[in-house]
Amino acid sequence: MKKKNRKYVLILLLILIPAAFFISINAGFTDYGITDILRILAGKGDGKENIVVLQFRMPRILLALLIGAGFALSGCIIQGITRNPLADPGILGINAGAGIMVLLYVVLHGAVSFGSVFGLPFLSLIGALVTGTIIYALSTQKTKGVSSMRLVLNGVAIQAGINAVMTMVIMKLDDSQHEFLAKWQAGSIWNANWKFVAALLPWIVIGITYLILRSRHLDILTMGDDISFGLGVTVVREKYRLLFTAVALAAACVAVSGSISFVGLMAPHLSRKLVGSGHRLLIPVCALTGGLLVLIADTVARTVIEPSEIPTGIVVSLLGAPYFVFLLLKERKKTVNS
Amino acid sequence: MKKGIRTENIKAAYGEKVIIEELSISIPMGQITTIIGPNGCGKSTFLKTLGRILGIKKGYIYLDGEEIHRLPTRELAKKLAILPQAPQAPDGLTVEELVSYGRFPYQKGLGRLTGEDKEIVSWAIEATGLKGLEEQATSDLSGGQRQRVWIAMALAQETEVILLDEPTTYLDMAYQLEILELLEDLNKVHGCTILMVLHDLNLASKFADHMIAFREGRVIKAGTPGEVMNKETLKEVFQIDAAIVTDPVSARPICMSYQLLNKEKNRSKVKKGA
Repeated sequence: MKKKNRKYVLILLLILIPAAFFISINAGFTDYGITDILRILAGKGDGKENIVVLQFRMPRILLALLIGAGFALSGCIIQGITRNPLADPGILGINAGAGIMVLLYVVLHGAVSFGSVFGLPFLSLIGALVTGTIIYALSTQKTKGVSSMRLVLNGVAIQAGINAVMTMVIMKLDDSQHEFLAKWQAGSIWNANWKFVAALLPWIVIGITYLILRSRHLDILTMGDDISFGLGVTVVREKYRLLFTAVALAAACVAVSGSISFVGLMAPHLSRKLVGSGHRLLIPVCALTGGLLVLIADTVARTVIEPSEIPTGIVVSLLGAPYFVFLLLKERKKTVNS
Repeated sequence: MKKGIRTENIKAAYGEKVIIEELSISIPMGQITTIIGPNGCGKSTFLKTLGRILGIKKGYIYLDGEEIHRLPTRELAKKLAILPQAPQAPDGLTVEELVSYGRFPYQKGLGRLTGEDKEIVSWAIEATGLKGLEEQATSDLSGGQRQRVWIAMALAQETEVILLDEPTTYLDMAYQLEILELLEDLNKVHGCTILMVLHDLNLASKFADHMIAFREGRVIKAGTPGEVMNKETLKEVFQIDAAIVTDPVSARPICMSYQLLNKEKNRSKVKKGA
């Protein structure tokens, strides 16, 4: 896209998100008109309306936006730093590591009794950091430093291992826990309420703010270590800080929604196509694109087979897979032509 | 304060593999210095240690009398720019954006470009003959243009020293000359000290004020092109028997033809292999 048109992308997203918000808040078993929705949002709804719109749908929509933003930003940083356009938090084993901690918590405390919603993101952060460190250490060769290829291979292997363990644990559980965790593992915005919004919000806000402040560093790290050293970036320290941010964002999201993996891959990719690779614009656009994608996916997930629902992660994958096939075909065409 | 780059007994290694052992050398300021040597002789490694991309195990590197590893990395980036071999920019990055990254060491906080930054960026773009291409994506440029964008980025760093690792690799002959003539201009007009690794001996001789020949992590010979580009040095450095003549245009020594010293040995190897 032409450089001067790039800022319109941001404006377009800021129009599309409220539009998706209204469609989503209106979608569901009970159908309200737009005027009713506005009335309820203004605080003039009756008891039932308030419960459906303000207690069920609103927090779920906000969570979808936050989760989308979190996974998208996490993917954006990891893609930039590893210089691998196909990387995402799932690939570094972050989602799996975070997931197993959440799973252990559920097993030990029971599925529904989530008392400490606010502590859960910290717990999953520990899990994510441990697996992340193991994968990073396994991928570091003494002479050559960290190899992107080994990072991906080790990540996929460890992730598969953890997922297998998780599935085994889930099989041993009773039916209600089993059903809940199976859904969570596929990525679903479960049990959405305001508490979860409040638990996730600070992580995302701090993450975005930090990343926008660091956008210049991110720009330069994208060009590789040698160029970054030459321009005076303290490469190792900066990478650790940014990767930690990526891990924290993904871990917090996993605690709330399970692993919704395609967003971290798709949103940054799409955003780069739209606004280029300058991170000052890319970071906000990426967060909004991710949020919008998950919001759309979640709206589809909870309406398409009413009154039951499909896990959001599966809808995201259904949208994401064709997109990537399309991308690969386009790449192939480009190489054939040139 | 002593101007210039000087190394004192430096040792550089990748893990256990020692590439450079006990190297002490001075690089003259305000001149173009070219480094030549066979593959794996440590010439790129040497450049990387000067640009502190690779740490040294022992010894000291001084820039204008200051030890570079004691300087904050941003301060060093204001004095010394380094372009690695075949650098790659992300897709869609425009010429102006890439060149403006050269201002990074000077920026604070959010890093908005000041008026001064913008002036220097447009000067660097003009000096490298890229005017009119500011909004082009670097990925759409020719190889020679792209290399000039990287040089413009280094220029925007406003350093007295620019290190380049094989700036002409993968370029056609005309583009190779174009890049080297640009660097020569920068040296003559702006007084930049240029230190570069070059693969092509004749180009290295043609554009250098000072030459350094490396072999196995050691300096075999350093001096004027006349002192380095001769039969004896090339024999020791590359194990070749070179025919040296004088370039009618530049009056510099060039290698017209060469053959392997141990040709017979190679032949017998082939026979054995077959």
